[in-house]
Amino acid sequence: MQRLIALALLAVVLAVPAVADAQKKGGVVKIGNLGEPPTLDAHWTTATITEVLTNHIYEQLYSLDAKSQPIPMLAESMPTISKDGLTYTFKLRQGIKFHNGKEMTSADVVASLNRWGAQSTYGKGLYARVAEVRALDKYTVEMKLKEKTATVLISLAIPNNSAAIYPKEVVDKFKPAEKATEWIGTGPFKVVEWKPDRHIKMARFDDYKPRSEPASGYGGKKVVYVDELLWIPVPDAATRVAQIETGELDFADDLDLNAYDRLKKTAGVQALVAKPYYWLVAVFNKKEGLMTNPKLRQAWQAALDMEPIMKTVAGGHGELYRLDSSLAFAENAPWHTKIKGLPWNERNRDKAKRLLREAGYKGEPIRFVTTQEYKWMYDFALLSKQQLEDAGFTIDLQVVDWATLVKRRNNPKEYDAFTTGMGNFYDPTHHIYLTPNWPGWTDDPDLNRVLAELQGESDYKKRFALWEQATRIFYDKVPVARYGDLFGLRAMRKHVKGFDTTLMRPRFHNVWLEK
Amino acid sequence: MTTYLLRRLLALIPVMFVVVTIVFLLIHLIPGDPVAVILGPEANAQQIEDARRELGLDRPLPEQLLSFYARLLRGDLGRSYFLDRPVTQALLERAEPTLVLMTCALLVAVLIGVPSGIVAGAYHGSWWDRILMSAALLGVCIPGFWLSLNFIYLFSVRLGWLPVAGYASVFQDPVLAARYMVLPAISLGFNQSALIARIARSCMLEILRQDYIRTARAKGLAERSVVYLHAFRNALVPVVTVIGITMAILIGGAVVTEIVFNIPGLGRLIISAILRRDYPVVQGVVLVTAAAYLLINLIVDMVYAFIDPRIRYA
Repeated sequence: MQRLIALALLAVVLAVPAVADAQKKGGVVKIGNLGEPPTLDAHWTTATITEVLTNHIYEQLYSLDAKSQPIPMLAESMPTISKDGLTYTFKLRQGIKFHNGKEMTSADVVASLNRWGAQSTYGKGLYARVAEVRALDKYTVEMKLKEKTATVLISLAIPNNSAAIYPKEVVDKFKPAEKATEWIGTGPFKVVEWKPDRHIKMARFDDYKPRSEPASGYGGKKVVYVDELLWIPVPDAATRVAQIETGELDFADDLDLNAYDRLKKTAGVQALVAKPYYWLVAVFNKKEGLMTNPKLRQAWQAALDMEPIMKTVAGGHGELYRLDSSLAFAENAPWHTKIKGLPWNERNRDKAKRLLREAGYKGEPIRFVTTQEYKWMYDFALLSKQQLEDAGFTIDLQVVDWATLVKRRNNPKEYDAFTTGMGNFYDPTHHIYLTPNWPGWTDDPDLNRVLAELQGESDYKKRFALWEQATRIFYDKVPVARYGDLFGLRAMRKHVKGFDTTLMRPRFHNVWLEK
Repeated sequence: MTTYLLRRLLALIPVMFVVVTIVFLLIHLIPGDPVAVILGPEANAQQIEDARRELGLDRPLPEQLLSFYARLLRGDLGRSYFLDRPVTQALLERAEPTLVLMTCALLVAVLIGVPSGIVAGAYHGSWWDRILMSAALLGVCIPGFWLSLNFIYLFSVRLGWLPVAGYASVFQDPVLAARYMVLPAISLGFNQSALIARIARSCMLEILRQDYIRTARAKGLAERSVVYLHAFRNALVPVVTVIGITMAILIGGAVVTEIVFNIPGLGRLIISAILRRDYPVVQGVVLVTAAAYLLINLIVDMVYAFIDPRIRYA
């Protein structure tokens, strides 16, 4: 609790200078990002770039505050929950307009939630337990559950693959499996034009009604000072860096970590460390092949020495990585665990060798699939190979492109381990690598039992204890090998003011230009 | 001439047929899944299966190939999985930047390449020859992306004369368009100018050794008219061939330049399409590029007849 208070105080202190400056209206923020989004339909994909863009266009019933806790956004207040925990009643804010001028009502919310429940990863997860969502009156929506779950609010609030509220007409026009190509929301920015490979232009939505609570995390009061956001895809990382140096861009995301020193020295530029970003992970195939043997997975975990791996991946910068065994990031305060003595970062070659012997491993090559498309994946795979081979493994490192990797990882015959990164999961039940449906197929009876209990339990303290239990099981069964936390690098011109640097994903409400 | 042209145009059809078939097979045979890329890293197997069915990717390959042919005959290149629009529209949107870049780079290549080749050839063995040919050697050796990045660092970051990257349409803002185009056109054109210069020089050398040149000199013609009137025109035929090849290279080879300078053209389109396995787009771009190659070849053959009256097509 003390920690939470401290964090809250810190957030207030950080927010003060932003309030002290005089905000100016007008201007265009030019933002360089690494490519084209697959869609601007938030229900459709978990892709990060879609998450960043769509959160400026749409809003959800709930949002997340600076402590990753759900707070009301389009809902007027927190819901009323029936005694049996099966009925949630949401009161909507009144007079909220969509970009097309129409008022948002319960009909839009019901239609949108049902579409999200049929298409989104998190929506499908929640809707497995939803019996019905219906409108009680123009501004009231009721959700009835088949069984109790603690994940209703967090699922509605998470910004990724989000439960964005669209006008009912858009929902009627685009069935869930079809990407919506009309992007109308209630958010502070509206889409003006999307010219693929050139830009996505968003303009301030003048009918936007901010909430009265102060800004916190992704929620609270959102005021738009700038006229436009211009999202420019710049696929080459070196070009993005050069453009922020010359001022052609005001903000650049996903920069090469090696540019950190250069950016820090550039006048007029502020280098920003984006936390959290990913924890690096080798996901094991537990359906077929060598890694179905838990002893081999434990040996992998025991052999790793995280410090040199992470340091190299982060380009030698201590500020750009962190060693942590918690499955939830430190920034995700409610679920961050601090368990001592877990078999993580053991650097124990003898233990690894003993486990390999016990597993009856005879040097059969282990197919470890990675890609150079994300340099950090290739880097940590290469360094792992060396450390693992020192402990007696034979690693067959297979370097393919990302599209091949994401295809192969769905076929149990084609790999033993693959690299990826784990982003921020806001609820313990959302950690995909602990579930049977995601590549790698973790189908552990103990984990399944604890996750099922987490799903049904609503008391935070009990849930946290269960989450700690899940973490211990994780380090015993090793469904995936967790490496360290890697941070991202972004940069901003110093005339961009009011930007909340503590956010994991950038948001441009409450931002103004001092030129 | 007309029948020849018609015959050549008809001959394009089977070639294009072979090209589209090979492209279709190649892109479908390399592993990778467009759906897994579009849905994002957290998507599970069921979602991926559903989306594959939606796009018709679950059907057997021969069946997909047949429906691809059927659509093609109707002039329909299909719909991009990723961009939510017909491939034809995606191609048209990106044709202008690539054509502008190609034209500018070609101008740079020809304006540097042809004169330096002619001068080097005419004054064979002189200092001019040595300097120009050393420069040409350098031009062939320096990779385009390295030149691009150094140009950006020098002219944009250090000196601040030109923007780093971007594109503006010449039809909307010609000045801005020109500022954006200078560096990419030079870094792309410089490489090609070296090739043109070397070919032009060797052609000049060969022509200058011919009997009729000796005759011309023996007549007492000024060296200037020997070189420019008698030698140059005859040296042009191979040079035109190289320029044709250069054009073709520039259409397909502008990929790196387009990425570094962030020009929203066909090169960037095909790279991102390949990375995302956006099959219809890859097929569309290759089809258009192949057609352009073939047409350029045809045009080059036609131009021969104008330069050299001895060449006749029947």
